[in-house]
Amino acid sequence: MAEREATTVIKIPITLDIPIGPQHPAIHEPVMLKIYADGEEVVHAEVNTGYNHRGIEKLMEKNSFYKDKFISSRVCGICNAVHENCYTRAVEYLAGLEPSPRAKYIRVLAMELERIHSHMLINAIMAEVIGFDTLFMYIMRDRELVMKAKEILTGNRVEAEIHMFGGVRRDIDDVKKDKIMDILKKLEPRLKYYRKLFEEDPTINSRLAEIGILKPETVLGYSLLGPILRGSGIKSDVRAEDKYDAYGEIPWTVITRPEGDSLARMLVRWDEALESLEICKYILEHLPQGPAVVDERKLPRVFPPGESYARVEAPRGELVYYINSVGGANPYRVKIRTPSAVNIINSAFSYVGHSIADVPVILVSYDPCISCMERAIVLDLKNNVEKRVPLKYIAQKKVRL
Amino acid sequence: MSIIKEVIKNFFSKPSTIEYPRKAEIPVEKDFRGEFYADLKKCTGCTLCALECPARAIEMKKLPENIKLKHNPRGLYPVVNYMTCVYCYRCVRVCPVDAFITTPNYKLSSVKEVYSEEKTLKTLGMG
Repeated sequence: MAEREATTVIKIPITLDIPIGPQHPAIHEPVMLKIYADGEEVVHAEVNTGYNHRGIEKLMEKNSFYKDKFISSRVCGICNAVHENCYTRAVEYLAGLEPSPRAKYIRVLAMELERIHSHMLINAIMAEVIGFDTLFMYIMRDRELVMKAKEILTGNRVEAEIHMFGGVRRDIDDVKKDKIMDILKKLEPRLKYYRKLFEEDPTINSRLAEIGILKPETVLGYSLLGPILRGSGIKSDVRAEDKYDAYGEIPWTVITRPEGDSLARMLVRWDEALESLEICKYILEHLPQGPAVVDERKLPRVFPPGESYARVEAPRGELVYYINSVGGANPYRVKIRTPSAVNIINSAFSYVGHSIADVPVILVSYDPCISCMERAIVLDLKNNVEKRVPLKYIAQKKVRL
Repeated sequence: MSIIKEVIKNFFSKPSTIEYPRKAEIPVEKDFRGEFYADLKKCTGCTLCALECPARAIEMKKLPENIKLKHNPRGLYPVVNYMTCVYCYRCVRVCPVDAFITTPNYKLSSVKEVYSEEKTLKTLGMG
């Protein structure tokens, strides 16, 4: 290659390499976001995962179908009932078991109570991240009401353990029904108040609105799930599509919002919590009669060979369990695809173009991004002129060097 | 000066958090999944609970030599390690003779390992 005299020098400013996580006050999951920032602006983001790998899928291969039911509910603490529901249904499809109508209603009640407290939790965390700690405390205080309702129904505040193949593990009587109904009546005005607060409060609005507007085609392109999908105006909900358990019999609607920004996602969550509250009330009023509790001593010890696939709408999106059995007491393979895996890993693109202060907000609502504005200085040595151009224009050869 | 006043005031005022466990009690439901132990009057030593436990918290131990039970020919009884137990109540549900006594007691935190051995042996009324 012939030597040429340099006429232009391109000075690329040092980008800050900021690791956010795996332990960070703004991040409530052990995930590491490596943010490359040019000044205040994020120009590139990497999502590093694997800090919480517990080998659960392998553990499930080594244990029996019954032990796996308890392992599956420990994949995620907050959405444990949907995890066990998905696993239980996958095994039921495999073994040809069918729960009674009352058991189906009780399952849905446990899952909807869980959805309410999960949505309240993520909204409380959002309040904390934007610096509104009092609201965080208030929402967490009212979330205790739901935890109490869950304790009355399942016997524990967090771990439900209410599912069993072919039914549920404990029934609900009239006293418990009244207690849960009272709690739901207390909860309803609070949820409505918080929803109104998120919609109308100028501080929350200016912090969340217009941040990370996500178009419907982008959401679909990156396979994002759950409230992110519905916050961008796409009407997709596994509860409505599959009508598993009792969802086909209960009147409810899928909530969507067209805006697609962080605020829309949070408001979708509040609306869903209110919708879940209505579902819970309907279930308590229309609980079918009949047996619900299954005798665990009479269930089969071994399961037939075959494959099964189940999906549920977890509070964070679509959750999938795939079970492969070759017969016997243990499954051959259990594959779990959680909604957070899809949402977090595919959302790296969403931080680019925002300021560093927006990264926690976007992470909490799993936002996307618009453009990259990384900048470079071009020095014309001949004329001694300095000009600033975005790096992407150099990459796209839009600027003459 | 006002900050010193505030400090002195707060030094003598009550804490705003719940004073658990010294003063405040947290009420739980009667059927809360809490502490449980085997009843030796019913247990047959079949080991099913230890086999079914997802957390491997149950170990079958030999009964003390002075205790001979007719319904328990092998002389085994389950000892629950409360620090390993996940309180799923699988053992309670699979027990063929319903030998487990369940309580809503949730105050189980401890700095050393806690076992159900003592409570189970007390069920025979022999101390």
